[in-house]
Amino acid sequence: MNATANKKPDYGSLPRLTMEQAREAAYHLLAMKGEGADVGIDLLHRIERFYYKEARMLDEERYQEWYDLLADDLFYWMPLTESRFRRDPRPTLSPEHMAYFDESKADIAVRIGRIASNLVWTEDPPTRHVYIVAGIEAFETGVPGEYEVHSTFTQYRNRGENDEATLHGRRRDLLREVDGSFQVVRRLILLPQSVLQTKNLSVFF
Amino acid sequence: MNFDASSLVDSEFGTVDRRIFWDKDIYELEQERIFARSWLFVAHESQIAEPGAFVTTYMAEDSVIVARGDNDEINVFLNSCPHRGNRVCFADSGKGRQFTCNYHGWAFGLNGDLKKMPKMGLYKNTPGFRMEDWGLKRARVGNYKGLIFATFCEDAPSLEDWLGDFRWYLDAVLDVEPGGTEFLPGGATRSVLKCNWKFPADNFVGDIYHALWTHLGGAEPTLGPHGGVVVDNEGSYQVSVNGHGWEFNHSFFGNAATMGDKEIIRYMKSREEAITARLGQFRAKMWGAVSSATIFPNFSFLPGYFTFRTYQPRGPLETEIHAWTLVPKNMPDEVKDRFRRGSMRTFSPAGILEMDDGENWEHSTTINRGYVTRHQKLCYAMGADTAVEEDLPGKVNAGQVSDHNQRLFFKRWAEMMKAESWADIPLAENTLDREAAE
Ligand code: FES
Ligand SMILES: [Fe+2]
Repeated sequence: MNATANKKPDYGSLPRLTMEQAREAAYHLLAMKGEGADVGIDLLHRIERFYYKEARMLDEERYQEWYDLLADDLFYWMPLTESRFRRDPRPTLSPEHMAYFDESKADIAVRIGRIASNLVWTEDPPTRHVYIVAGIEAFETGVPGEYEVHSTFTQYRNRGENDEATLHGRRRDLLREVDGSFQVVRRLILLPQSVLQTKNLSVFF
Repeated sequence: MNFDASSLVDSEFGTVDRRIFWDKDIYELEQERIFARSWLFVAHESQIAEPGAFVTTYMAEDSVIVARGDNDEINVFLNSCPHRGNRVCFADSGKGRQFTCNYHGWAFGLNGDLKKMPKMGLYKNTPGFRMEDWGLKRARVGNYKGLIFATFCEDAPSLEDWLGDFRWYLDAVLDVEPGGTEFLPGGATRSVLKCNWKFPADNFVGDIYHALWTHLGGAEPTLGPHGGVVVDNEGSYQVSVNGHGWEFNHSFFGNAATMGDKEIIRYMKSREEAITARLGQFRAKMWGAVSSATIFPNFSFLPGYFTFRTYQPRGPLETEIHAWTLVPKNMPDEVKDRFRRGSMRTFSPAGILEMDDGENWEHSTTINRGYVTRHQKLCYAMGADTAVEEDLPGKVNAGQVSDHNQRLFFKRWAEMMKAESWADIPLAENTLDREAAE
C-alpha cells in the first residue's frame, strides 16, 4: 500500500483492525513483560540496526519508507496516563480509555497524507527532529520470526526560533521478520507525562 | 486596580487591544474579576458516578476537588489544606472515604469538613479552636444536565441565570437522547500551550472562519478540500447569551463527517428521527453540525466530535487544555468506541485538526513581546450584525461566518473586568425559566 503515491488514496481500503482485534492487541502489549528467552546476539544486533534505521527515517521525514516498515495488521497505541493512588484497584492503562494514538495502519496513512498535502502550515517550514533510541532488549515469543522488543527513546523537536519539545518514553513492540528485515506489528508507546508538557504530538514514535 | 476595560475593547465596530493577551496586571485582574466570579465547569457527573468517587481539577489557577458524598451530593472544595496550605489530594481521580493531607495528617471528609488529625487532643484544649472553622473551602455547585459548574463567588447569580437562554441550545448536545450523557473513561487529555487562554476561547466561541484555512491540511487527506464541508452564511447562525457563544449550521453531522468514519454517520442518521421528535428540527439539526461553542469564560466544545474542554489559564502566556469526549449514555458501546477514536484522532494533542490550531494561538500571543506590536489593535470587525427571521432565544446573528460572537465575548469580558461587583454586571433575561413559571 502506498499512502502518498497519489494525492488522496482510498483510505477506506487500507488495512484496519476490528475493535476486537485492536483490544486483543492492546491486552497483548500490556502483558508483555520480557519473559521470553533472550534472542541470540546476532539477531539482537540486527534488531538494533532496525531501530536505528527507523529513527533516522523519522528524523529525515522519510515517512513513506517508514510506513513500509509497518505490518498490515499494525496496532499502534499511546494510551493516556493519570496520576492514581497506589491503592486504586483500577487498571492505569486500558484500551477503553481515551488515548493519544489508537491506530490501525490506515490511520497512520491519514496522518502521513496530512503532512504530504503540503497544506499543513504548522509543519512549514518543517520541524527538525532528533530521535535517540536506547536500551533495546529483544525476546523470543514462541512464534517463530516474531520478537518482543522493549526500548527507551528521547524525541527532540525544534521549529522556528525557540519552539522545542523533548519527550522521553518507552516502547514495547512486537516485531515480525519479513524477507530478512523486520516489520512493526504492535507498538505500545508509554509517555511518562500525565499532562503533556508540549502543545501537540505532531510526530511519530 | 482602577481599570478602564472599555478602552481596550470596542465591541461596536470590533477591535481588541493586544495588551489583554500579554499584560501581567490585566491577567491578575482577570483572576479576580472573571474567573473568581464566574461559574466554571469542573466535571461531568459521570466522572464521579458513585459515593466516594472524586476527581481533582482546576478553577483557573485554583486547584479543587470534586467529590460525591454519601448522600449523593456533589461537593467542590479547594484542594489546599488550611493548616499550612499543602495540596491535599495528588491523584487525578479515585475513590475513598476521606482526603488526608500529607504534611501533618489532617483528614477531611467527602464534603471538605475537617474530621480528625493526629494529636487531636491538643486542639481540643486550644481555646477558640473549632473543627468546623477549618474545613476545605467549599464552592457553590450547580448542575446543568450532567455538567457540573462551581463558583466561589457568593454574589454570582444562579447557574440557571448565568447560562440563561443558552441552555435552550445546550440541549442540542446534552439532551438529545433519554438517559443523558457521559464522558468517555480514562480522564482528560491534557496539554500545555504557550498562549493566552482567550485565544482558544475566542476561537471556539465563533471562529469557523479559521477552519477554511488553518485546517485545510488536516481535513484534506480524509475528505478532500475543506474536509468536504460547506461553510457559508446561508442557513447558518451565531448565537450569544451573556458572552457564551455558539456558531452553527444545520448540517446535522457536518463536523462528525470529518472524522472519516462512515459507521458514525450511519448511526447518527439512524437517530435523526427520534432526536427531531425530542428537540424539534431546529435543534436536532445542530447535534453534530459544523459548529463550535464556548461557555464564558473558558469552557468550550465541538458538536460532532463532542470534545468538551477547559482552557485553564497559567499566566498570561500559558494555557493548559483539558479535554474529554461526551456521548449519550444510551449509545451502543461499539459506536461510543468509534467516537472515542474519532474524537481523539481529530481533537486531541495528537489530533489531525487540533494540531493545526496550537501554533496559531501561541504566536498570536508571544509576538506581543514587541512593544510596538502589542500597541496595535486586533480586528474583530467581520460581518455587520444581521437579524434572523426566526424567533430564537439569545442574540442571534444570521450567518456563522462572522465576528458577532467574538465581539460579544470581549464585550462580556470588558463588562466583568470593569465591574466592581456583581451588581454592576448586566445579565440577559432568563426567558426559559420565566416561561416555565408562567
Ligand atoms: S499542612 Fe495539611 S496537615 Fe499541615
Ligand atoms: Fe481549529
